[in-house]
Amino acid sequence: MSSNNATENWIATRELSPRWSVGLSGLANLVVHVIAVFVIWWIFFSNAGIFKLYTPLLGFSLVIWTLLIILWQAELFDFWPFSRGFIRDGNPLAKGAALTGVTIAVYLILIIGLVFFFLGKYGVTYFNWNSLMLYGEFGQDPTSTRETASWAMLSLSVPFFLISTWFMFGVGKDLFPELNQPRRGIAMWGLIAVISIILYLVFFHPHIGSMFYPQQIYTAVPPWWQGIAQTNSAEFSLGILFCSVVGIFYAFHLWDGWPFTIVKKQPWRFIFFAVVSLVFGYIIFRLQLFIFDYLWYEAYIGGQNEANFGWRYSHTVTMANFVLVIAIIQNTFFGQAYTRFPGILRGIIKTVVAIVVGMLFAWAYYRFGPALLGVTQGVSHPSENAAAFLIMVINLLLIQDFFMDGWPGYKLKR
Amino acid sequence: MKRRDFLKGMVATGAGVAISGGVGTLSKAHAKSKLEDFGEIKSLKVHCISETSWFDNPTLGADIKAAGGINTNQYDVAYNEENLGGYAALVEVEALDGKKTKYLLDTGWSNDWMDYVFEKDGIDKMLQSKEIDTLIISHDHIDHYFALESTLKHQPDIKIYFPGTSMKKSFELLKGADFSATPGCPKNSVPHTGELIVTETNKLYKLQEGAAIVFFDAPATLQVRGENVMYFKIKDKGYVTVTGCCHPGIMTLINHARRNFKDGNNNYGCYGGLHISPFENWDPKMDDLIQGVKAMNMTKIGCNHCTGWIWAEKAAQMGLPIVNGTNKNLSYKKTGTLAQAKTSNVYLGNGDDIVF
Repeated sequence: MSSNNATENWIATRELSPRWSVGLSGLANLVVHVIAVFVIWWIFFSNAGIFKLYTPLLGFSLVIWTLLIILWQAELFDFWPFSRGFIRDGNPLAKGAALTGVTIAVYLILIIGLVFFFLGKYGVTYFNWNSLMLYGEFGQDPTSTRETASWAMLSLSVPFFLISTWFMFGVGKDLFPELNQPRRGIAMWGLIAVISIILYLVFFHPHIGSMFYPQQIYTAVPPWWQGIAQTNSAEFSLGILFCSVVGIFYAFHLWDGWPFTIVKKQPWRFIFFAVVSLVFGYIIFRLQLFIFDYLWYEAYIGGQNEANFGWRYSHTVTMANFVLVIAIIQNTFFGQAYTRFPGILRGIIKTVVAIVVGMLFAWAYYRFGPALLGVTQGVSHPSENAAAFLIMVINLLLIQDFFMDGWPGYKLKR
Repeated sequence: MKRRDFLKGMVATGAGVAISGGVGTLSKAHAKSKLEDFGEIKSLKVHCISETSWFDNPTLGADIKAAGGINTNQYDVAYNEENLGGYAALVEVEALDGKKTKYLLDTGWSNDWMDYVFEKDGIDKMLQSKEIDTLIISHDHIDHYFALESTLKHQPDIKIYFPGTSMKKSFELLKGADFSATPGCPKNSVPHTGELIVTETNKLYKLQEGAAIVFFDAPATLQVRGENVMYFKIKDKGYVTVTGCCHPGIMTLINHARRNFKDGNNNYGCYGGLHISPFENWDPKMDDLIQGVKAMNMTKIGCNHCTGWIWAEKAAQMGLPIVNGTNKNLSYKKTGTLAQAKTSNVYLGNGDDIVF
């Protein structure tokens, strides 16, 4: 193993070709993917499975961090510590196993080791459910503390996600062009972490400080967004920030990166990327809220389930992810079928397909999910969050694409 | 073009409508053009037979966690039998002409405990004499329904209002079934022989003038769905809700009355579990709920059971009209987590009454 010094990321330079026709290759990938989704879900997540990690927040925090780590591996560290030779010539299954092994190892070290055990034990109580039970009194029982700690980890991931996408795709190698891996990855990661932690403290820490009685006002200000969001819940921040991330991936998978490709020169490229992603995210967020108002009448302060402002903010992320999953499947499995269309038409067709099939996917999830996945019936069930399932699906899509070069339907062009 | 009209046109063509139609779990909360008027009563008294559904929160939490968490089927969890109690309330309605009618809301969890509290309050004799001839099952959760036998053994032909979304095993229990191989799960050796009214969404079931049941298809834990809610309209005062757990949410009930009932803006009060923080944990959304309920200007809030002492305490501090309990519960053979923790008396406990 050695560091690679290539000027472009491996993902940006590699070319994949279908083993068979695009339709057949895409279909083969889809079948393998669906099988993997069911196997992984039933073993690790389902309430009727073995490990039952879908509580739902424990499972959600797990898949969101592993997704972030997969992206870091590919886009930030350019597959370091593996050599370019192994990435180029290795068997897709061996590569998939090795790179997923790294994902799991990083998750265990960073999230379980650093955040849960170290920070949770010696710094921030709410990152560790055992600490919450040890120091907490009334109400800090095994079930609630697990969800509180998982929510905290999930919250921490949101600014990391947004800032990571800004730096991975809006900055790339422009910031530290002279550095090789892993120095470049570490430098970028450090910068991302500093900004993300500040954003976390502003947008999420006040929520967690309000999760205890009495309210922890000396360590966290009361939620400052209440007057804007009509709720004390940080799901308001979560909705906007996460929709901004989803919007970036819409652009990559539906419109070949437009509009983020418009500005080329730094630092304007980064500023444009950040501003446009936030504006786009807000549009996705707000448009869905209008639709929810139509479907479920207006939310009201203190409303429950679908009448709750916080749940609606959170649900914008869920629904946006239903579309994103289809957009990724369409682009990675069947994307080459669209090359015959000119750019704008291609973007329009892919967008319409992603939205229509995404909505059908949502309908199928809520209709058949209880039977097929063992999830709880109901769109707004307090114990149900489809985003956990969807993020797990995206994890597996990226493993198949980034780590296995689209195996079995696709292979690297030699 | 108004925002709502624009959206109607847009969404009508979209797949969003397909979801709401297909899943069947979304609220159909749009206001009715004709408001319901189910009459008025003179007064309402609710007696807390038992609100201690279990006696130790961490023990129940550990049982549920061990079985796979709160999304596990309630009939698949092995419960610590020493920990089980139950929820039930005696609802006494005084009609405008002074005639009094009694209803039993829910039948608890442990047969031992329910037999004890029924005897203590004379519920057993009221059932035998048919002074109570109607049982309203709010929902088929463990602690509201599993001790069905404790009621049926005194009156097998009692009229029952039963949620249509109840689990298959819960329907089987009505006919007589034994699930007690799993600790804490029920058995019923007295099949129900009386009238069974299976409640459905969007229908109002009038019990008598001024008293009705509305069924809400709301999500709950342990794979249970739906809840029957009792609505009363008290002359010159307003609407009162009486709930088992209030899984739909107290604000949903208030808004249902506002949108569907004549004079629905007059919210006088409520009694029952409000299902906010049953395990005494907190979430900022619960602060929202205090703010929301406060804006409704209720006169009396009698809460207990799954409300969460922590919410009631905070709500009282914020000026909500929480009705305090007495210490009658301390004379019962068992007391729950709250009594043991010597919390303030913001709950209506076992043996307490509230009059609206």
